[in-house]
Amino acid sequence: MSPTRFFIRAKLVACGRVCILAGGLFLAGCTKSSAKHETVLTFSGSALGAEGTLVAKQLQRFMQLNPGIRVELQRTPDDASQRHQLYVQWLNARVGNPSILQLDVVWTPEFAAAGWVLPLDSYSPGKSDFFPATITANTWAGKLYALPWFADVGLLYRRTDLVKREPATLEEVVSDARTAMAARGGPRYGIVFQGARYEGLITGFVEYLGAFGGRIIDDRGEVVVNRPEAVRALEFMRDELYGSKVAPLDALTWHEEEARFAFQNGNAVFMRNWPYPVAAMSDTAQSKVAGKFAVSPMPASGTAPAGHSTASLGGAQLAINAYTEFPDAAYKLIAYLTAPEQMLERAQAVGQYPTRSALYDDIRLKTALGVPPENARRAIESATPRPVTPIYTELSEILQIELHRALVRQAEPREALDAAAAKINALIERTGMRKLMAGA
Amino acid sequence: MRKISRLGHEARLGWALVAPALGVIALIAIFPLGWTFWESLHLHELRMPWLGKPFVGIANYVEIAKDPRFWAALGHTAFFTVVSISLELLIGLFLALAMNRVFRGRGFVRAAVLVPWAIPTVVAALLWRFIFESQGGILNALLVDAGFIDQPIVWFIEASKAWVPVILADVWKTTPFVALLLLAGLQNIDLSLYEAAAVDGANAWWQLRHITLPLLKPAILVTLIFRTLDGFRVFDLIYVLTGGGPGTSTEPVALYTFNALLQNLRFGYGSALSVVIFAITFGLALFYVRGLGVRLGGDEA
Repeated sequence: MSPTRFFIRAKLVACGRVCILAGGLFLAGCTKSSAKHETVLTFSGSALGAEGTLVAKQLQRFMQLNPGIRVELQRTPDDASQRHQLYVQWLNARVGNPSILQLDVVWTPEFAAAGWVLPLDSYSPGKSDFFPATITANTWAGKLYALPWFADVGLLYRRTDLVKREPATLEEVVSDARTAMAARGGPRYGIVFQGARYEGLITGFVEYLGAFGGRIIDDRGEVVVNRPEAVRALEFMRDELYGSKVAPLDALTWHEEEARFAFQNGNAVFMRNWPYPVAAMSDTAQSKVAGKFAVSPMPASGTAPAGHSTASLGGAQLAINAYTEFPDAAYKLIAYLTAPEQMLERAQAVGQYPTRSALYDDIRLKTALGVPPENARRAIESATPRPVTPIYTELSEILQIELHRALVRQAEPREALDAAAAKINALIERTGMRKLMAGA
Repeated sequence: MRKISRLGHEARLGWALVAPALGVIALIAIFPLGWTFWESLHLHELRMPWLGKPFVGIANYVEIAKDPRFWAALGHTAFFTVVSISLELLIGLFLALAMNRVFRGRGFVRAAVLVPWAIPTVVAALLWRFIFESQGGILNALLVDAGFIDQPIVWFIEASKAWVPVILADVWKTTPFVALLLLAGLQNIDLSLYEAAAVDGANAWWQLRHITLPLLKPAILVTLIFRTLDGFRVFDLIYVLTGGGPGTSTEPVALYTFNALLQNLRFGYGSALSVVIFAITFGLALFYVRGLGVRLGGDEA
């Protein structure tokens, strides 16, 4: 029994005792909040700072609109992997709280395959209003298991004072970077990104991979990460480090923040990052590049006919705990939080990207994101989910290690990707995923 | 006859008196071990409930035997243990000999030496990480200023270089502990032995080889046993400093086990890994105690 639920039980017991003492005088008032009739939802998710205030406000409004439902906020760690671990432990114990789960974009298939979250199709959630990639990422075995709450998307940041025109190809990114670095007083780095051995490395790789027309797993569930397109993508990344040297070797130990510091201090021409740094980098008090940068999706390679501009998709989704007593009420809350008004409010308060495409035409979004909504929309439209599979986390770990080995030159790109493909295939066999993934 | 029954009575009383202690040991040591072993005989993946939790016998152990990442991790662990402990013993012995001399401020020096040991490992590891950072790291700045190198060295993207901060940090942090254990050993040596040797004309080197080291052997062995077991279980230092990278080239077995158990939530396989680590450290401890005759109790320790 979770602490919250225990607490609720304790309160109900106390309530019952009062009823007996009062000799049934307040019986009507009391039955209203007895276990059978009151609907209590628990909402877990980001509850820090401005985001926390916003969530609390929206939950209050929801309760006013739905007098029969009480929503309690259950705090969970903000760190994604810690939250994931907690959720998995709770769900293994079949705990019904929190009734609404905030899932990272790559968790949905895992939770769906485990039977931990409920399919949402019977509620007719209006899928076509959301960006297609955000729906694909939340679909497993033909059913939708979570609604996209806000989107995170990989962006190419460019110093507009150093590179006037948005580069049309990856090759142009490199040549623009070299030109800007070579100029007098030019920045030390051409392009900075997240190259440490962690999930961020995969998100970056997916963008280069798409730019060369490659994929990790194809539509038939085949592992294709060692095909020639993928090898070329990895070779291109390696060339940025050791050939054209537009990327610093340090980036192989960097996460989001190190890349942001380099770019924000004026040390880089380009940066690959999520939307979050926009606010800090637009602040003249701490940023040397305020008003001097623009964002666009990562461009495609000019040499790969099948390549296309690709942005990695991140972000948060809301799903219903399969063990909750109140799935319908839970859906009501999810629908409310992902409704256009709430999404817009969220964008205005904390700058997170809405997942509904129509909102990008809304005048109120104009200043909310810190960048022109048109550029943000272009990025999300080119967004590609990472492999949509229940075994993503382990698949990602295999790739992280092999990509890192290739980038630090412990292995050749071809060799590293062959090793990754072999290990991913073994993983698929071990977990009995072969048939399911082919059907997906 | 009567005597025997009285002995039996005493033995029973003895057992009754230690029973609570044995119970506690069983509860906190044997039960979890047994549970982990039982778990290791199952396929149990917390995030893949569709696989169920079937009994698979020694399948997890077979997988370990065929897992190149495990063998590599074992190699890294052994390398780390041997190199860092050798350095710690050498420097620790030197420190202990110095601290054993009579000089002013000896108490202060003995206390000051312990400071690195007192710092939590995670904090110490972060400090070393900052020192070795390629951009803005103190070490690179010093080396560049002194003219030894033109470009800052990126320490954490080559296995051979990544080991440098790892070993240095461990030596820095643990040498004081080693020195203190050895100092305790030194203080048990009768000073008159040295006086007698000096009268016979033995020089300092001879005294060290023939008096100090043989008499210090028990203390050295106790230090070795502690440090070997610590070394084999190294986790936090490497977790913070390199995360096991680049690739997996500095990953020790404890980090790999953590990864399998808590990141991937592979309870069966992770438990099997834990049992293997336990068996190795237990084997090492047995080897020291039986093979080298380390006495963990008594005067010499």
